[in-house]
Amino acid sequence: METMFGIAVDGVAYGMILFIISVGLSVTLGLMRVVNLAHGAFAMVGGYVASYAAQNAGLPYGLALVVAVALTVLATLPLERLLYRRIYGSANELAQVLLTIGLTFVIVAGINYLFGPTLKRIPLPEMLTGTVELGPKAIPTHRAFVIGAGAATLLGLWWLLERTDFGIRLRAAVDDPAMAAALGIRTERLYLATFALGTGLAALGGVLGAELLPLEPYYAIRYIVLFLAVVAVGGAGSIFGSAAAALALGIVDTAGKYLIPNFGEFFFYVALILILFRWPHGFFKGRAA
Amino acid sequence: MTSVAERPDPMTDPMSRHTPPAARRDLGWIGIPLVAAVGLAAYWLLPDDLALLTRIAASALFVLSLDLVLGYGGIATLGQAAMFGTGAYAAGIVAVNWNSDPFVMLAAGGLAGGLVALVTGALILHARGLTLLMLTIAVGQIVQEVANKARDWTGGSDGLSGIDPAPVLGLFRFDMFGRTSYLFALAVLVAGLMVARRIVRSPFGLACRGVREDPLRISAIGGSPKSYLVALYGVAGVFAGVAGALTAVTSGIVGLDSAGFPWSAEALVMLVLGGTGRLYGAVIGTAAFMGIHHVLAASDPFHWMGFIGLFLIGIVLFLPGGIASGFERLGALLRGKENRA
Amino acid sequence: MTKTLRNALLGAAFGLALAAGPAGAATIKVGVVAPFSGPFGVVGKSFKEAIEVYQAEHGKTVGNDTVEFVYKDLDQANPAQSKALSQELIVKEKVSFLAGYFFTPDALAVAPLIDEANIPCVIFNAATSAITEKSPRYVRTSFTLWQNTVPLAEHMAKQGIRKAVSAVSDYGPGIDGEAAFKTTFEKNGGAVVDSIRMPLKSADFAPFMQRIKDSGAEAVYAFLPAGPATLAFAKAFNDTGLRAAGIKFFGPGDLTQEPDLPALGDAATGITTSFNYSRAHDSAMNKAFVARHKEMFGSYDTVTFTSVGAYDGTHVIYQMIKNAGGGRIDGAKAVESVKGMSWESPRGPLTIDPDSRHVTQTIYLRTVEKVDGKLENVEKQSFPKQPDYGYKLAK
Repeated sequence: METMFGIAVDGVAYGMILFIISVGLSVTLGLMRVVNLAHGAFAMVGGYVASYAAQNAGLPYGLALVVAVALTVLATLPLERLLYRRIYGSANELAQVLLTIGLTFVIVAGINYLFGPTLKRIPLPEMLTGTVELGPKAIPTHRAFVIGAGAATLLGLWWLLERTDFGIRLRAAVDDPAMAAALGIRTERLYLATFALGTGLAALGGVLGAELLPLEPYYAIRYIVLFLAVVAVGGAGSIFGSAAAALALGIVDTAGKYLIPNFGEFFFYVALILILFRWPHGFFKGRAA
Repeated sequence: MTSVAERPDPMTDPMSRHTPPAARRDLGWIGIPLVAAVGLAAYWLLPDDLALLTRIAASALFVLSLDLVLGYGGIATLGQAAMFGTGAYAAGIVAVNWNSDPFVMLAAGGLAGGLVALVTGALILHARGLTLLMLTIAVGQIVQEVANKARDWTGGSDGLSGIDPAPVLGLFRFDMFGRTSYLFALAVLVAGLMVARRIVRSPFGLACRGVREDPLRISAIGGSPKSYLVALYGVAGVFAGVAGALTAVTSGIVGLDSAGFPWSAEALVMLVLGGTGRLYGAVIGTAAFMGIHHVLAASDPFHWMGFIGLFLIGIVLFLPGGIASGFERLGALLRGKENRA
Repeated sequence: MTKTLRNALLGAAFGLALAAGPAGAATIKVGVVAPFSGPFGVVGKSFKEAIEVYQAEHGKTVGNDTVEFVYKDLDQANPAQSKALSQELIVKEKVSFLAGYFFTPDALAVAPLIDEANIPCVIFNAATSAITEKSPRYVRTSFTLWQNTVPLAEHMAKQGIRKAVSAVSDYGPGIDGEAAFKTTFEKNGGAVVDSIRMPLKSADFAPFMQRIKDSGAEAVYAFLPAGPATLAFAKAFNDTGLRAAGIKFFGPGDLTQEPDLPALGDAATGITTSFNYSRAHDSAMNKAFVARHKEMFGSYDTVTFTSVGAYDGTHVIYQMIKNAGGGRIDGAKAVESVKGMSWESPRGPLTIDPDSRHVTQTIYLRTVEKVDGKLENVEKQSFPKQPDYGYKLAK
């Protein structure tokens, strides 16, 4: 029983981290129909900015986080204008894959050039180190913090997409761009804002997840399969779907690694195949949130 | 998603009906002898670079297999290396334990690759888009993990070494200068191109294109879209398996990387770079990508990734049909001039 | 030109090129295959820098011959590509030596080539014991997992640890480490209560930590490839309270390689590892080595075990050229000439074992501590003359 509880807690903690670093991809992929393989690269940029801000500029953790998200969004907005705008639409899937892989390569090379190939860290404040007790199970304080941040992100996104004017316009633009434009919705701006939301979430995930997925130039490529898995299982564009998928995959992965570590890798992918066999469009298909 | 949106964009799609079919047929016909001629010329002109040329030839066959599924069946996959790796390991295991004749190795690789493709294709090809991408990735990861676990047979992460292929036809030894390797690989590639061309022009190939362009119509005239796709996936699996076996023959070793995700992704990049749905686009893309990599990696290994990234972005923005479409446009331009003259 | 004629000419040209060696001043080329780009790019960099340091100290000539290094980039474990690059080095660049090789499969891939071309291959890193069994032309100047693990396991048993658990990455070197640990630790009266093999691509190590905790072991022997996985593992060890619970953390020194120490930060302090080289090794020769490195490249941040692997490998190559006395390099004879060779290196005394052609060396027990504000592996104890215990042990 205690073992089960331990697996559940570790699984949920891991799942929440997966959620927070993948949900940005769900936004770009589901709402803008862009297979954005550069998602990991944007997350990495966020992480590096935070690391630089905290270590070299001496900013406190919270401020470094805000700076990282803001700077990443600012730095990537021109990319939307220059590159992404040309490849919107589901007919361009291959072009999207190729272009975003190319972009990822450029960012990897750039980060490697600027910061060198060694691992970088984002120092945690005193408050977030150590462990917290959850009954018989102790989990790192930082993870508890990420679980909270993940839950807040989940609720915030739900509110933004379901309850605000922005969300309504966005869903209208996704469902029928021509009609939305005819109704006077400025789709170009809307897409720009959504792109900013996606990269902001990527940067947030990159910073918060850095304890688990350490920052180095190949971060951008190393974890992209993981992000794609969460989005595919959750159903692209579905915020709750992504959360459910991240938790399910987190728990399956944790249970597999704990119970039969020697075959740990199999569990994740077998679970992936089984879930996608049962729900080929992910848990929540087609709903915006 | 509407069915309209799923149709290929005529501007970027090489198979669209807007290109005059006659022009396409001409180029397709010239493509294969051209590959053979350029390949032989390279043998004479670059005798010191046969190692690289051999890798290009074997990889081109692999990228060709991807063109069959993607260019003709519209199946987007990031797990084609599962079949390549299976073929390479099958050939290696057969060579180490039983028979090291290169043709036997190729047959074993093709068989293994085809079988894996048929079985996994039947399981996953009901899906489309991102789901299918993920499923193909998962199959690739599982194949790689099986190879890692079956250390007694595959050598695990140390690689399956000690593959010593017998001389081709009992006459031509695989020497360290790589002459036999290269000519053998080139011959297999050209043969593969000819067979692939037959397949895509056969009624079966045309039906697959039909599935790609309009699955509903195929159902309406009594065909099963999925069974066509599974069969095509299986055929492509044979090609990928043979390509893997060819790599095992020419390099004498098989590593876990041969079934890895990066190799699948790299093949996709090479194919789109060259141009999909043309067969010879696979050869052009592979030669361009690996050639550029070789030159850049020799001069500036630290930054080659940045260059290749910019190159990819440039292709998407300025030459959306891949390099091959550039040649075609050039060809059309020249023809246009002739006509006017 | 007919094919036979052309082949004959090529063969003759190659023969001439080989025969031309001894006549007066020649250039002897050494081909180095290593990762210069990609996630392991820092390895190639450290190889290259160490070679340049050696050449700065010992000159670029041996007798009348100039020694020239040619580098080839192999970004990840890819044996087929390794073979192609090595073949190109032999055929096109006409190298007399092959060197480098970070990953085991990449080193194994060249065995048929070096035998056919009769060229010595000096391995700067690839650490699986079985490699040198595959060709008599391999010489290795790095370490093996067995070599590092045996003294560590003995030390752990001597410390009174009775129950231990091993946690290794599920690939060749990890499995080597696990076997070496289990054999030695149990021979010395300890019990290995759990052997965990962790998938190489693991991102979250919490489940393994729980398993280590549940096993009731007093200590853990861990091996992961250097890089992000190691960092995540060490962090998880601290964060999940295993360290606080008093479980002792041991492992081969790959875990705390110098370039990763700043990122590991305080999570690393107190980890005890066994290894063949520490940048903080206290000897005049090492201090000179590190100082010259800093002088040439501006910092010594990249100096680590791969640096001395390449430095000593270069020394062995120079010695082989010297032993050939200006004659052409015959691979088999060159390897024969350095068997049993002993010398002093920045890491301490080295001898090439005549059987395994692997270096017998001192293995040090080190603890991560802060020295002048910088984390270093501080040597606590040394175990001299450790051979490769794993040679000819595997099937």
